[in-house]
Amino acid sequence: MRTLLSLGLLKGVIAGLAGTAVGMALTMVVRSALGYPAWQPDQVTLAGTLVGIPAYLAGVGAFSAWWGWVLGKGIEEPGGHHFWGWTRYFGADPNHKVIGIQYMATSLVVIAVAGIYQLIARLETSQPGLQFLSPDTYNSLMSLHGIMMLGAVLLGVSGMINYLVPLMIGARDMAFPRLNAFSYWITVPAVFLLLFALPAGGFDTGWTGYPPLSTKAPLGMQLMILAFYLVGWSSILGGVNFLATIMKMRAPGMGLFRMPIFVWTALATAFLQIVFTQFVGIAFLMVLLQRVLGLGFFDPAKGGNVLLFQHLFWLYSHPAVYIFVLPGLGVISEIVPVFSRKPLFGYRLVALSSFGIALQGAIVWGHHMFTAGIEEWLRIPFMVTTMLVAVPTGVKIFSWLATMWHGKISLDTPMLFALTAIAVFLVGGLTGIPNGIVPTDLYIHDTYWVVAHFHHTLFGGFVFPAMAAIYFWFPKVTGRLLNRGLGKLHWALMTVGFFVTYEPMFWLGLNGMRRRIADYDPALGLGPMNTVVSVAAYVIALSMLVFFVNLVASAWRGTRAPANPWRSRTLEWQLSSPPPEHNFPTPPQVLGSPYGFGIPGSVHAVVTPAGGAGEEKGGLGRVSSG
Amino acid sequence: MRKHWIAVIALTIVGAALLALLFLKVPLVPAQAAKQAAQIDTLLTVQLALGGAIFALVMVFLVYSVIAFRRRPGDTDDGPPTEGNAALETVWTIIPLALVLSLATYGGIVLRDMLRPPPGQELVVKVNAMQFAWLFEYPQYGFTSPQLRMPVDQPVLLRLASRDVIHSFWVPEFRVKMDAVPGMEKHLRITPTVIGNYQVQCAELCGLLHWAMRAPVSVVDGAAFQQWIAEQRK
Amino acid sequence: MAAAAKTRGEDRVAIYRLGLWLFMGSESFLFLALLFSRFYLQGVQRPAELNQPLGLVISIVLLLSSLSAYRGETCAVYGDQAGFRRNILVTIGLGFLFLVGVGIEWSEGFHFFPPSTGFGTVFFTLTGFHAFHVLTGVLALAAVLVRGRKVQYGPGSYWAVEGAVKYWHFVDVAWVFIYPTLYLVS
Repeated sequence: MRTLLSLGLLKGVIAGLAGTAVGMALTMVVRSALGYPAWQPDQVTLAGTLVGIPAYLAGVGAFSAWWGWVLGKGIEEPGGHHFWGWTRYFGADPNHKVIGIQYMATSLVVIAVAGIYQLIARLETSQPGLQFLSPDTYNSLMSLHGIMMLGAVLLGVSGMINYLVPLMIGARDMAFPRLNAFSYWITVPAVFLLLFALPAGGFDTGWTGYPPLSTKAPLGMQLMILAFYLVGWSSILGGVNFLATIMKMRAPGMGLFRMPIFVWTALATAFLQIVFTQFVGIAFLMVLLQRVLGLGFFDPAKGGNVLLFQHLFWLYSHPAVYIFVLPGLGVISEIVPVFSRKPLFGYRLVALSSFGIALQGAIVWGHHMFTAGIEEWLRIPFMVTTMLVAVPTGVKIFSWLATMWHGKISLDTPMLFALTAIAVFLVGGLTGIPNGIVPTDLYIHDTYWVVAHFHHTLFGGFVFPAMAAIYFWFPKVTGRLLNRGLGKLHWALMTVGFFVTYEPMFWLGLNGMRRRIADYDPALGLGPMNTVVSVAAYVIALSMLVFFVNLVASAWRGTRAPANPWRSRTLEWQLSSPPPEHNFPTPPQVLGSPYGFGIPGSVHAVVTPAGGAGEEKGGLGRVSSG
Repeated sequence: MRKHWIAVIALTIVGAALLALLFLKVPLVPAQAAKQAAQIDTLLTVQLALGGAIFALVMVFLVYSVIAFRRRPGDTDDGPPTEGNAALETVWTIIPLALVLSLATYGGIVLRDMLRPPPGQELVVKVNAMQFAWLFEYPQYGFTSPQLRMPVDQPVLLRLASRDVIHSFWVPEFRVKMDAVPGMEKHLRITPTVIGNYQVQCAELCGLLHWAMRAPVSVVDGAAFQQWIAEQRK
Repeated sequence: MAAAAKTRGEDRVAIYRLGLWLFMGSESFLFLALLFSRFYLQGVQRPAELNQPLGLVISIVLLLSSLSAYRGETCAVYGDQAGFRRNILVTIGLGFLFLVGVGIEWSEGFHFFPPSTGFGTVFFTLTGFHAFHVLTGVLALAAVLVRGRKVQYGPGSYWAVEGAVKYWHFVDVAWVFIYPTLYLVS
């Protein structure tokens, strides 16, 4: 009981609930004093969250170190408790490995909830006719599925970068460990807000929340906006942290062109997070201000313009796609050389291609608005810039192929997921061409074609690579191997389930299936294909179930992992599994490429061991005994 | 060494051809019922065939490598340490660039064609979208109808407006779509070419009954259209 | 943490400085989006009722506060605790004066161009966001001031002051763009 009460999370939730109640009560008192009816859902809940969230953060302990700093007290070094002491994961802890695991676990929970939402909604559309959901429940489930999945992807990306980047560059921790903890802990209330959104009436705008519809949607809309805003700030502060870490905390000898590709993709991701997240933040705040205070951003009668939202929204939300997929592409670049036993082909170009993708992604937002009524001539430049993304992504894909060519390929679970990711992402890219070319986009925009297209890019750019990453790094994180048989079963079910779910959607879209509809005209003849899609979606769900079972069972009882089970060369594998509390007591000396497989005498780094990492085999990073 | 290259090139050609055949033979799109639909379908087919060829290329390389270059059990050596090839890397930067730029040019030409106002008189229809219905106003004739009726082979200019939130006008058989945005008027040009009955569906999520926001569209011959006009004006 | 950083040869102040620059860089995109929205929605229209003398006065007040902030930072660098305290207090005072000025402008604005009108929407949002940043700047300066009661600033240990003052300058520069956008263009 005492341990339970000492948990930061519990203290935070209690303080947060109390703060919310105080904020709501105060607003209602003020409203009645001014002669308005006490209850106005948007204003009252907004004030509640404005008080509740800081109270929650104070309860968690996210502010305590900073408060001590202001008062001029010394800051206590954390530690003392055991790395695997479970209580550590439920409070504000500045260790990047703890935070990485917190992010990843939260991400998986949110993915599960958002997945269940869509599994329910999908049942509704498997046949024409309204089956068992009311249209507003359908709209809410579908909208929440979208926004929660995207939030989960952002959390997952932060999780991977948090855990891996400091280890890969030989850093002690992140540049700003307490800010890092803060960035994680503001996402937890966002998750709660999203969970409350459904009982609070949901919202019927899809994840994009276009006004004017979103200015009139139920209270759930506002909770979604606040959640989006919190995750956005987590993303910005995370980006600052990642960028400062990569620029300033690299081990001696770790020049930019000796960094693993994953670190390069994290750098490009951080750049996108810092620059573009503000745009979507302000776009949603404008919706909030119009809802709560009656400002006129998107009301033509008050001089507003509804397209303003779409410009600001897509200015972020297109680059956001690259925030989601770049780290995943980085994971593929890590895994393919290790399981092909060959150097990454064309390392420099692959490293720079991430920045190519990031910069290109900044100037294409208009392609989401080809049918939205932007100036007609503007569509041509946006079409051309959009097409350019084929170049840097092509570079990556061809480099992976050339890396495998004449390699010594072994199909362990991480490699299977990475290869599927390449195939899926490729289909996502190719089916994006008709979206990017204006005339064909006028046809397929807002249909299931688009749904299929972006699920390919997100599965290929995030889900499959994240699964590859979990199977690859799980031994490093936990010191235990994931079960191989269950892993392959998970892979097989997920791959089959994915293709059978999403390939038919292209056909459905071409034949008149619009996005985000609770029901469709039986005369269109789309019923049978929709049934196939629904059944296959449950196969994906089944594969995830296998995955969760594997995670829990292997973490608990899995085979003990050696320090470097995959014979990789990057720095994190030169430490014990799991890594010691403090990464590198003595900074490693980086001497060469992380991918020098088969090159005689090539050494990535010399690591002075801290946790007793043994040398596995020649040709790896050499470990000195000092 | 050489045999691997011959094998993948042959397999790629076969794969690309099979996919192209698939896209041409399998009915992927609904019936065409407008001049714009024909242009868009050709453009889409070109994109699909090209995409199929690239897909075949990558997948053949990937699957072939996995089969031909499997690690033998017990082999713990590394592969040949090729780190890159400047010429090859340049080629796979330039070729995709050229491909996508030519696709964009082709798309631009089709778009210009579609936007150009046709010679002669256009039939103007003002489309009023609202939650969750469509109303079609014929300003040249002075009446409003809950259904859209157009004479065949007559260029039509749709002037789209919305009373509340964003909607989107889409008839799958005509292919093109355009949003109806509150506070603005957006234009869409259609020349129906096949007599028949269709349905306009709202393609932009507009709230509770978005899925049900449909209205009948019919394309009739010139005489029938004139007769309908006369009936409506009575 | 300090000890661990030292053994690794990290320059913590350089890291803090980079972090602050990145944060301010991100914030400048927020103001960029707001300025863009002003022109997108309202073009260069502005109502005649804007209180031009007041706008000019509060702009001067804010510019002056940057000067005293700079003097406070210089004092901290040289270890002059009294001078530091005096100048930062003046800066905070000027910051509050600016906020009072914005408050007066708001009460007039509610009358002439309420937030439910086109220009009002833009005006109240831009000035509101900026005023919020001024408030955070005041809090940062106050935090540095409170910390200064326990910790002596001086050569080699003035990062906290430098950071807060840099942020204050940033807020000031943001106003340098907002003021002409709202008050001068037409």
